[in-house]
Amino acid sequence: MGTREILSLQFGHYSNFIGTHWWNTQETSFEYNATSPAEINHDILFREGSTRSGQVTFTPRLLLVDLKGSLRTLPERGTLYESPPKSSEIDTNWKPSATETKINEPEQKNVFQEDLENSQITDFSKRCYNLESDVEVWSDFLYTRFHPRTVNIIKEYEHENKDSQFDVFPLGTAMWRSEQFEEDFSDKIRNYIEECDNFQGFHITLDASNAFAGLASSCIEYVRDEYERKSVLAFPVIPSSYSDYAYVTDEEKHQSLIKDSIRVLNLALCFNSLNEHSSLFLPLCTSYNGWRQPGPMRNFYHLVYNYQLPYHTSAILASALDTITLKYRLRSTDFHLSDLCADLNIFGRKAAATSLCLPFSFNKGSDFIDCLDNWDGPLSQSISPNCIIGTDKLMQTFTLRGIPEDRLKRPLQNAGKQKDMPAYRCNSVNEMLSLYLSCNYFISATNVTTVTKGLSVKTPYPSIFDPFVGTDGNINNTPRPEHLKVESVPTLAGIHSGACVGDMIESLHTEANKIKVPRFHQFVNAGLESDEFSECLHKLFDLRECYVESDYI
Amino acid sequence: MAAISLLNPKAEVARAAQALAVNISAAKGIQDVMKSNLGPKGTVKMLVSGAGDIKITKDGNVLLHEMQIQHPTASLIARASTAQDDMTGDGTTSTVLVIGELLKQADIYVAEGLHPRVITEGFDKARVKTLEILDKIKIPIEINRQNLLDVARTSLRTKVHERLADVLTDVCVDAVLAIRQEGKPVDLHMVELMEMQHKTATDTQLIKGLVLDHGSRHPDMPKRLTNAYILTCNISMEYEKSEVNSGFFYKTAEEREKLVAAERQFIEDRVKKVVALKKKLCDGTDKSFVVINQKGIDPMSLDMLAKEGIMALRRAKRRNMERLALACGGVAMNHLDDLHESHLGFAGLVYEHVLGENKYTFVEECKVPQSVTILMKGPNKHTLTQIKDAVRDGLRAINNAVEDKALTPGAGAFEVTAYKELMAFKDTVKGKSRLGIAAYAEALLVIPKVLATNSGFDAQDTIVKLQEESRLSPEPVGLDLTSGEPIIPKDAGIFDNYVVKKQIINSCSVIASNLLLVDEIMRAGMSSLKG
Repeated sequence: MGTREILSLQFGHYSNFIGTHWWNTQETSFEYNATSPAEINHDILFREGSTRSGQVTFTPRLLLVDLKGSLRTLPERGTLYESPPKSSEIDTNWKPSATETKINEPEQKNVFQEDLENSQITDFSKRCYNLESDVEVWSDFLYTRFHPRTVNIIKEYEHENKDSQFDVFPLGTAMWRSEQFEEDFSDKIRNYIEECDNFQGFHITLDASNAFAGLASSCIEYVRDEYERKSVLAFPVIPSSYSDYAYVTDEEKHQSLIKDSIRVLNLALCFNSLNEHSSLFLPLCTSYNGWRQPGPMRNFYHLVYNYQLPYHTSAILASALDTITLKYRLRSTDFHLSDLCADLNIFGRKAAATSLCLPFSFNKGSDFIDCLDNWDGPLSQSISPNCIIGTDKLMQTFTLRGIPEDRLKRPLQNAGKQKDMPAYRCNSVNEMLSLYLSCNYFISATNVTTVTKGLSVKTPYPSIFDPFVGTDGNINNTPRPEHLKVESVPTLAGIHSGACVGDMIESLHTEANKIKVPRFHQFVNAGLESDEFSECLHKLFDLRECYVESDYI
Repeated sequence: MAAISLLNPKAEVARAAQALAVNISAAKGIQDVMKSNLGPKGTVKMLVSGAGDIKITKDGNVLLHEMQIQHPTASLIARASTAQDDMTGDGTTSTVLVIGELLKQADIYVAEGLHPRVITEGFDKARVKTLEILDKIKIPIEINRQNLLDVARTSLRTKVHERLADVLTDVCVDAVLAIRQEGKPVDLHMVELMEMQHKTATDTQLIKGLVLDHGSRHPDMPKRLTNAYILTCNISMEYEKSEVNSGFFYKTAEEREKLVAAERQFIEDRVKKVVALKKKLCDGTDKSFVVINQKGIDPMSLDMLAKEGIMALRRAKRRNMERLALACGGVAMNHLDDLHESHLGFAGLVYEHVLGENKYTFVEECKVPQSVTILMKGPNKHTLTQIKDAVRDGLRAINNAVEDKALTPGAGAFEVTAYKELMAFKDTVKGKSRLGIAAYAEALLVIPKVLATNSGFDAQDTIVKLQEESRLSPEPVGLDLTSGEPIIPKDAGIFDNYVVKKQIINSCSVIASNLLLVDEIMRAGMSSLKG
């Protein structure tokens, strides 16, 4: 029944890093001139439009919010529909003598952005970029071009300005209430949804540890009110490292501890609000702990990344998001976002855990049946903070991409040992994975989605794969030649709901409970009352109770 | 040693004279930035960002938002100015100038050893007196087009160039007059501001009806209708899956289909009700039917409506529901039971205008529109932003005049008169606080002085001329910015808002007094608190 459109919203700088990677991998995976339609229905997240000169455009159905000064070389309204006029060509209709012009130094574009403007360069994989050191803000590696209404800048606060920080939850809620913001932003949401024939809901990525959490929460409250029967899937994200951790002096260490407490308070307020207003929310972080100190980084086989670089960690989270959302973005099914939410949020379990296996280790030349047979330990690794995903009593959905059906098993005549495995009777990747999961998880309801095409990791995706990952993402015995880059990788990702999520909420509750809120004058100044916070803690505890296992499950 | 340094040796402290010097230099700094913008002959500023984004403005408030003010004193002043804008929509540059000047004048006396407390006492007496003077020279007006045009023009000419200001003046005044109902406060939200990137700024016009920023989403729907009944409603006409009843792990495809069909039927019945009403009212007449819905309408429903020649718009603004009822009559419906002709609005003409990927729907020729639209046009985004800021302020200025039922003479006339009277008042006050009154009177003159400078005249010459004239003339005397000669603003049609001046007098005195009384500035971190 038509396209099931989704509107994406991104609140905050780290969310925009993730978003940028997400849009990039989608756009680099587009197949033009393909005779058969792609498996993934890109119309769900993208929209078709046309410029004033009649040129057709295909841009993300997206609104993002960031602070002033966070865009660097990207003009607010983008360059797709019109490029910003040269300052010398502007007629102010004013006497030249009475016109003062203040031109800020043009920002220097990095090599990658310059190449994007150069129409002669089409294959970026052959070029060499130093994005690890060049990327300061997300627009530095932005490949996708945006619709003019996509970018929203908060002028009142400046990016990385230590004097006026946008750092506490109530500042965000106050920002939403400032009349101009709410009116403009909700109008833009409406403009997007008005075009949709069969709108299904929202994807909301938000920075959970600063004031953007407050802004996003207010926005979610609004969309729940205005578009009551549409689903809201929220991804509160937590960076794995903050700039203030690089302290030298005791004074800086103090400051950093205080900031940690502020972040925990924000997280508690954010989770509470998401519990109330979203349909389902998936907290994401590439480190183990997430709350007070994000803690050690999570390791993935065949992946070498720097946890201090948002450019790296956001790529990993974006890969997970792109994969778990495939379930309702395929052309072949009529599965809705609302179905996913309904399955996973039963008994008020609004929070769920996410796991990822990137790349899904699949040896070159081997078969899927052998791959699973030799697998040791859980298939995927949790990317939810403070959450160890167990193996029983789970409601879960897995998405596996990049395993071709013809490498499922060997034909009967030369099957050899494979023939003796029970999985040999399975005739599809989906069936086999389902069987495997049903044997490895107990009393669990598991749903499996499989997609043939792998995750596109072409430039500007960071080169975080170790040399044994081949260009097609399969694991080789010999290192890949230096000049070749990985183009796509098989990936597995899952969403899980079960007792483990309760532990996550409990650990946050414990952490937040230790903090004496009245000491943090920023919260009180910005309008948070202490009752409000204790109520928030109560509700978090109630949410935790929802995950307590009783006999009837 | 300040007490704080015992607690926190790293705290930065500035005391007494030093503290005052910090405040005064900050006030002067921000005054210098804003000074050149004042008045219709002030400069316009063009700001170009590192990525090439452009902002053109003359409006003090917009400028303050664009500048990143780091200095705490300056940001305090900026906040006072923003508050001025929030309350009245005008007078932001004046606020900054007057605060700066009050501090400058006070500084002269403080340097001679006068205690700041004495000056602030003088300021307070002067403030009370100035408010009396303001009440005395305010001109009660009748709410008619001419008076409102004068005040709107004065305000708008300080924000955009003259040709555009004159266009906007007419548009804004007519808009407010259209929505004003005798005996009720004006709700400016009932003037819709719609942007269209198209043509030039001076093509901005008033539409006596409503312009919506979306159109019908069905290829067969009519694009232009006359004599149209308008149904405004907030009723979902799309099939929506609910989150409650799915449970997809278990249900079979057939069960799902059944569920969908049942829900779909429910929506279809709603659409049929609308179609039935249309048939009853319009068939066989020259009338037509338009549905404007705040909720969604899915393609199947659109199809049913299109077959009947009904134009249907979905996802209208929440506020447009109210506006539509005021513009074309009728009521916004929340259900379709007992739908009757009296629930519908009526418009002579409804048509669609397409611009690139944007569609606009015009609802015009309404009988007595009590909600109107200002359609702002401009070739690019920064022009539109500039117009929007100006229109907002223009509407506020008019609304202020309507609420005050009075105006004050503009062109610096109020300040010159206040100076004259304050100087006379000073002689009746005993003690040192009269010095504060003199400083206050002197400070008010900054407005005519800067107006003169910005128009290319000598500030001293002009002030002397104005003061002489003011002594002779019974009417308040202001400055003619084209000739540099004194004029009677009342005759020239230059008026300011009463409430704007009042707000300036109040807030500037308070802020300046507070800043004067500061004798210690501390800047300390939070490090004494353990998290």
